[in-house]
Order: sequence, then structure tokens, then C-alpha cells
Amino acid sequence: MKRYELIVVGAGPSGLSAAIEAAKCGVEVIVFDENEKPGGQLFKQIHKFFGSKEHHAKVRGFKIGEELLREASDAGVEVVLNATVTGLYQNKEITVRIGDAIHHYKGDTIIIATGAAENMVTFPGWTLPGVIGAGAAQTLMNIHGIQPGKRVLMLGSGNVGLVVSFQLMQAGCEVVAVADAAPRIGGYGVHAAKVARTGVPFYLSHTITKAHGTDHVTGVTISEVDSSFKPIAGTEKYFDVDVICIAVGLSPMSQLFKMSGCNMEDNPKKGGQVPIIDSYGETSQKGVFAAGDVSGIEEASSAMIEGRMAGVCAAQYLGYCTEEEKENKLKDLEKDLDSLRQGMFAPSNRGKLIEKTDEGIDVSMSLLTKGFVSDDEIERFPGVTHKVGVHPVMECTQNIPCNPCQDACPKGCISIGENITNLPFVTDGSQCINCGMCVASCSGQAIFLVDEDCGDGYASITLPYEFLPLPKIGDVGSGLGRNGERVCEATVVNVKNLKAFDHTNLLTIKVPKEYAMKARFFRA
Amino acid sequence: MNILSDRSRDIGEFVPAEDDDMLICRCEEVTKGEIRKAVHDGMWTITEIRRYLRTGMGLCQGQTCARLVKGIIAKELGISPAELEPATARSPMRPVEMRVMGNEEA
Repeated sequence: MKRYELIVVGAGPSGLSAAIEAAKCGVEVIVFDENEKPGGQLFKQIHKFFGSKEHHAKVRGFKIGEELLREASDAGVEVVLNATVTGLYQNKEITVRIGDAIHHYKGDTIIIATGAAENMVTFPGWTLPGVIGAGAAQTLMNIHGIQPGKRVLMLGSGNVGLVVSFQLMQAGCEVVAVADAAPRIGGYGVHAAKVARTGVPFYLSHTITKAHGTDHVTGVTISEVDSSFKPIAGTEKYFDVDVICIAVGLSPMSQLFKMSGCNMEDNPKKGGQVPIIDSYGETSQKGVFAAGDVSGIEEASSAMIEGRMAGVCAAQYLGYCTEEEKENKLKDLEKDLDSLRQGMFAPSNRGKLIEKTDEGIDVSMSLLTKGFVSDDEIERFPGVTHKVGVHPVMECTQNIPCNPCQDACPKGCISIGENITNLPFVTDGSQCINCGMCVASCSGQAIFLVDEDCGDGYASITLPYEFLPLPKIGDVGSGLGRNGERVCEATVVNVKNLKAFDHTNLLTIKVPKEYAMKARFFRA
Repeated sequence: MNILSDRSRDIGEFVPAEDDDMLICRCEEVTKGEIRKAVHDGMWTITEIRRYLRTGMGLCQGQTCARLVKGIIAKELGISPAELEPATARSPMRPVEMRVMGNEEA
């Protein structure tokens, strides 16, 4: 039996972060992962992440994955792939299937970062080919470059459902609708808004009642549900689709903890069965830690911090750093983690209806039920102001931990203030130079540069555009409202793509000036 | 003593439902009706259902259906899913061929 100072199970964002942090302290680390590539779900994430600089905000997920792999190799972390951990026993012994043999290892410390598995829902026809998880859709599109289908219905309006809906459209699929049994959209409003403005309808309080087809999906029926989630007869809506994508949450893959005898709890707020841990991830068994989604469903940014915390704790447990060094490192990490857990979508707010922002502004109810802020609601948010000349309009209306916009503006036009969850506002006396950095930096694609009167009765709107084919200067098409409906004719007057924009193209369209605050998307 | 300890508790008769033929555990091909019926046959825990019907014992090891089965049992018993003990976790966590299981490198 081979012995290691630290064995990490899972080479996703949290497992790698844990291994890196421990290795930097001098710990001899080995990481096992059952997949053929490291990085877990990070390499499927082609969107820009939220948060602050410390959380890699505005960097696309797969880029964060590449950084992490580089950091791991620099730190001398040994990662064994195609290595399935089949058991965790008392005294920190594990069995790993590698090739055609079962290998035994013993760790002086163990960090389990096995992540989570997707939940399923059942309805007649749910076993038909074409009913897939959102993770599968991402794997097909973003890893293998394969379209899951032509027309898709998304079930689930959490961040996964919203982000994957957008990615499906980027891959050239048509998303016919996003449905959710809950009465309100679960994910970030900005994610919903960028889907809604392309014309995708949201059906809240709706669930799938039937998948049609004999040997594959050919259509889907959704129905409205009552307050006890029972379908209401007569409310059926049918869509022609060849894919039904399911994004109804994740369950921690925590079986290894249970097997080794760690104290467990069934905690719906954390997504199901999780080990009972202290604030740095240590379980009831000394030297066995949990990090990332396996200890409670959150997202990759917090998983990476949790991983680092567990790595530091394991290093101290092994004597590679002093209690004081550990405390110092944990203090910074805790600050980063805390800032991610603030705002309306903080884990403690899960399931709650929040009616006012921290600033005391009424939250847009249209955003929560239809996916877009209505024209009469948008003006009340601090990022939406009127000025002569080009100026940023920030349609950021919920308190989420994110602030790249304020660092993006070279002229200091945008401020978030002390608290990372504050709504952005335009600073007094600042002069916008129309550079577009804010538009490209906004992970939620919620910033627009507007010139409400650029002459001859027209207004110009610069918007983020991440679809192909890219419109060309001179193209005439439709200006779409926040709800995705055509509001006016629009002409493309500029298309900008700089390296600093990181693949977010900036499209400037000209519209009749009465639509300056209404048109938010372009369709050729 | 939890709610499951009193096996004489009346949970009512098995009432057939329209979706009884819906597959829940795909690997072992167990339907919703079979699971509901098993509860009325006296299988009140996930472990009992697993032994009785083999739900979650197939290739995916319950990755997809564990939560669904739990929900169905809980509903039939009129309790919250959180009150049900999860299935025993044991090695191998993932399906492993016997020839590999037997090929141990100590």
C-alpha cells in the first residue's frame, strides 16, 4: 500500500485548488480523478464568471481551468486521471481503480472534492433519447463541438438553465422556451435578461407533462401548475422540439463520506446528503475534509476558495505550516468566500422572495417572472441615467457579488461603492469616451453604451454580442426590446472586437431616438 | 424512535395511478407503480426497496434515480424525503468488473 501525505479525490476546481494550496506548503499530494481530463466542469464553462478580481471575474470558465492546471503543474501536484476511487475506508485508506487493477493507498489527510450529479424529473416520455441534462448539453457543445439538437426546451430557470440556454443559442440551436415549476426565475436576472432579449419566452409555474415521440423526442407539452405543483388541466402548451434539456438542480456526490463513517446530514439548502463540516471543510473525522459542491451546492468560484481552505488546513494538520500561518491564509480566503456569499442570491436567501434591493429600490417583478425588466421599471435603477452624448446604461438590477465594471472604465465613470453587491451607478462629472470596456467586461451582458441623440432623430446603442454570424456594418435588421419583440428598424453602424473584449463583440446599432431606452438587441 | 419505527401505522391502501407504468430506475427497469406497491407491501426504507426491487443497484448505482425513489417512498408514507435514511454507501462506488475487483495491487 502506497502512502501519501495528502490524497485529493476529484480534480475539479475545488480539488485542484486544494492540491495547489497544500503543495505550495510543501505537502506531498496526489490527486485522483475518474475522468480522462482534469478540470471538472470548468472546461464546459464558456461564459465569463462573476465576482471580483480575486474571484477571476470576467474571465471565462475554461480559462480559469487552464490557469488552475498551470498552477497545479508549477506546484508539482501529481494528478492521476482515469483513476476511479471506489471506496474510502476508516483510517483514511482508499481503493482506486486504475486500468485493470484495484490499487490501495493511505493518506495522512484526505480531501474529498467529488462534486455533484444532476437531478432528474420524471414525466411520461422522460426516458426518450433527446431528454438530456444541462451538463450533457454542455459536454456535447463545449467539449465535443456537437449540437445537441435543433430546437430545445429548457426546464429549469436557475443559473445553470439560463447559462446553458444561452450557450445552446450560441451553438446555433433554437431555444423555444424556458420553463420552471417555481413561480419565479431562480437564477441571476442578468442571465435571464440576455436570454429573454433574444426572444425566448419564459413559462414560470409550468412543468413538463409529456415528452412526445416513439424512438426519440419530437415534441413536448408543458402545463401550468397550481400552488402544490399539480398540473392544471386545460393549460397545456405544445412545442415542436428534438431536445428537452433538464436543469433542475444538483445533488452532492457524498457517498465516500458516508462510507467512511463521517457524520452526515440531509440538508435541502445544500442540495441533499452532505457531510457535517466545520467552516474550513473538516468532517467529523480528523484529517478528512470536504470541499466544493460535495459539501453543499454552490458554484465554481466558491468551490475554488473552499478547496484552498481545505488545502491550507490539511497542510497545517500535517505540520507544514504553523497555526498562525494557517489563520492568516484562512482570513483572506474567508473574506473572499464571504463576499461571494452576499447579496440576493446568498445561500441563506435561497427560496426567499426579495422585494427590495439593498438600496431600497423595488425589485423588478417582470424580471422574476418573464425574464426581463419592463420599460416602465428600468428607469428606477441607479445604473440607468440620461445624459447628453455617449454614456453607459447599466441594467444591473439585483444585488449580486460582481464588480468588474468599475475597474473596466479607464475614466472612472462607473462605481459600485464599498460593497461588492451594490448596484453600479455612473459617477458625477465623469466623461465616457465610448471605449466599450464596460460593455465587454460585464459578465451579465447588462451594460450598454447609449447616445440618446446622435443627430437626424437617431440614437446609437452599443450592445454586447456573442453570436455567429457576426452582423456587418450596414446590415439592416430589427431592434428588439428587452422582451425580445421587435420595436423598430435598426442599422448596424459599427462592429468592434478587441483582444481586451475577450470574444465579446460590440455591436453599435442606430435606431430612431425614441427607442434609445427600449431597443436592446439586434436581429438581422 | 422515528416515524418509520411504527410499522403498524396505517398508510392506507395502494391506489393505482395513471403514471404507475413510468420507469423510474432505468438500469433495473423498475416502475413507479412497483415502488409504490412495494411500500404498501411493507418496504418502508430505501434499503428494503433496494433489496426488494433492485432500484439503484444497476449500472449507474442510483446516480439518476436515488432521489426520485426517495421522493416516491416519502410521498407514499406521507413523510418528508429528508426523514428517510439514504442508501448504504459501500465499495465499489462505481461499477467494477469482477476480474478487476479481484486484481488487487496491495
